[in-house]
Amino acid sequence: MNGKIAITGLGIFTAAGKNRISFSESLLKGKCAIGPVDLFDASPFPARIAAQVREFDPLDYFDKKTAGRLMRADQFALIAAEEALEMSSVQCHYGPYEIGVSMGAGAAGMFQGELWLKGVVMGKKSPPSLLRGILPDRTATAIAGRFNLCGYQGSVTTACSSSATAIGWGADLIASGRLAACLCGGTDALSLLTYAGFNSLKVIDPEPCSPFSLGRQGISLGEGAAFLVLEGEARALARGARIYGYIPGYAIAGEAHHMTAPEPTGREAARVIRCALECAGVTPDRVGWVNAHGTGTPLNDVVESRAMRLVFGDRADAVPLVSTKAMTGHCLGAAGAIEIVATVIALNAGVIPRTLNFRGKDPECDLDYCHDGAKESDATIALSNSFAFGGNTTSVVIQGLGTRG
Amino acid sequence: MSGTNNDIVITGIAAISAGGVGIEQLRETLAQGKCMLTPLPADILGEEGHLWGKATSFRVGDFMPPLKARKLDRCSLFATIASGMALKDAGADMASLIPERVGIALGCGFGGIANSEEFLRGYFLKGADGLIPMLFPNTVPNAAASNASIEHGFKGPNVTQVQRFCSAESALLMACRFLEEDRADIMLTGGADDLAAIMLQGFKSLGQLRSHAAGFGEGSGILVLERREHALRRGATIRGTLGEIRTTGFLLPGREAEGIARLRGDAKPDLISLSGTAAELPLLLEDLPDVSRLEVGRLVGRSLAMGGVAMVALLLTLPEGKRALHLAASPEGPFFGIDFFGGPSVQS
Repeated sequence: MNGKIAITGLGIFTAAGKNRISFSESLLKGKCAIGPVDLFDASPFPARIAAQVREFDPLDYFDKKTAGRLMRADQFALIAAEEALEMSSVQCHYGPYEIGVSMGAGAAGMFQGELWLKGVVMGKKSPPSLLRGILPDRTATAIAGRFNLCGYQGSVTTACSSSATAIGWGADLIASGRLAACLCGGTDALSLLTYAGFNSLKVIDPEPCSPFSLGRQGISLGEGAAFLVLEGEARALARGARIYGYIPGYAIAGEAHHMTAPEPTGREAARVIRCALECAGVTPDRVGWVNAHGTGTPLNDVVESRAMRLVFGDRADAVPLVSTKAMTGHCLGAAGAIEIVATVIALNAGVIPRTLNFRGKDPECDLDYCHDGAKESDATIALSNSFAFGGNTTSVVIQGLGTRG
Repeated sequence: MSGTNNDIVITGIAAISAGGVGIEQLRETLAQGKCMLTPLPADILGEEGHLWGKATSFRVGDFMPPLKARKLDRCSLFATIASGMALKDAGADMASLIPERVGIALGCGFGGIANSEEFLRGYFLKGADGLIPMLFPNTVPNAAASNASIEHGFKGPNVTQVQRFCSAESALLMACRFLEEDRADIMLTGGADDLAAIMLQGFKSLGQLRSHAAGFGEGSGILVLERREHALRRGATIRGTLGEIRTTGFLLPGREAEGIARLRGDAKPDLISLSGTAAELPLLLEDLPDVSRLEVGRLVGRSLAMGGVAMVALLLTLPEGKRALHLAASPEGPFFGIDFFGGPSVQS
């Protein structure tokens, strides 16, 4: 990509922290946010846990009328977006038509939509307002309208890689000169559809997920939102903005292999990582660690570990592969954005986060996953991987400032 | 927001819609100006008086064995089959291309909703025992593009966009960027949508059947894009050339004209194509020259990713050397203005 794309704002809202400060504390101290679900009745399923955002009253953030018009995923998004925009103060420096919104979305307003459907199926009248956010593009429209971001409005919907791609695409929109600044990230909320769906595929662990561990049984779902404000480095410096890091490059690809199973050798995952590094102009030896897709499913974790060996060769043992999903749960459409924000925070804290919930060493996962604890690091470059249903793969290169940031 | 894409050409097109299967049937529909919307069966909504753009002439058995077709949802079938037709039209044989250099960027509106409804209905009626696992993978909106990539072996950039009535145009913008950056040699782009009874019931519930959801349609319109030099090198026939792509995300109250102005090109078009709700936005059409207008949604139905079929219709209509402006809009944004030129050459 042409020119350096700077990160000048960060915002996050998850079960592991409802703003940047509380999330940073959870990340750096290794607090797992996975617990019982009460958003809907999880009792029919073998797994009854998730990283659900708790003690959340929309009226703490919105007036009653506004809250009523927003889906749960929209509410998360607006809160996190506002934090990122305020941090960047970007709206004081660019015109509204110079700033855009690049969203990654997943189940979006499905939680409310399925309440409507249940009424229809049971022959009861359901309020139509439950359908207002059934499509994943609704959040981008809500953000654009609330914050007057008029330059571009788009929603990437590639399941679990949506928001990582949306951030890469946001960087692209600036690099190509189409925008001065872009609010980019993702949001997602728990829903019966995804909870029942992953349970039906038998890929939800009944205990908090334990990526790369022996005996892992699958994912723990989560919910939340995270955003970055991106802009060109030169303009950011000219307006006196504080820079927190950079997005030097990214890549997306299709595995063309299977709707749900990853290509088993790791060759396709390795390809997208290599393409991202090439796009960023970064050689593999400069990468300090990798924030894994790391879902905790038996196959995914092995394949991602194999991809690391293919990309980093003998050096793979010295490049920790960590999964923050053991803390945040798998937030699907928001996962990539949450993990990229986590990566920026960790890079600037000089820390490689711990992969929580270790159960034992898996001989097929033979890298350093920081299972024993977080590590100090002077790395300034890390990767964030996101792999999705449909074989959609995304890898984003993130440059932090190290502890001077 | 604007960008210049004058080195990107269209070498293949395909369409499946209420206007028929294949570009010749769509061409005929356009030539006749015949509305292909049909009455929406009364049993879906419990009332009569509505139209829909069902792709009734689409027979999956003409393209795919039943066992394979069973694994795909209707939206994926549209996208997968239209992608194959577009590749054929482009004279692009995957066996002679590098799979990692062929990608797909697709707009998809309600893709995955039909499977989501069927999956959840099983749960609501029978509890966990009523869940059908094989339905779940195709509940995601990217199922259509991903199934097309699996079927045809596209390993290049793969992305799905959903953004109101501009889903296909949003995807086309991404496809062009991937070509500009040399991330791919060929990008398939456009849109795919399917109609499901539950969607229409939802539109009725929201009171949208007399407004934006009137005459909702389905199908897929696919364009094969590549850089001109790549197309020429492989001896492809160039159907059209892409010009500038302009977009505005949201019209700022009180400053709407500024946003609209960003969508207009500098030169007078010979043809204007209207997609989504563009025809219903007076501000967008103000001051536009009195030239021919093409509004394919009136003929085959409107859908969120209808821009794919609309852009294919534009290319079928636009004479060589002539310039067209494709305008796409959604009620709350975004908005797109895209320049097309008929044939291989670009006239300023």
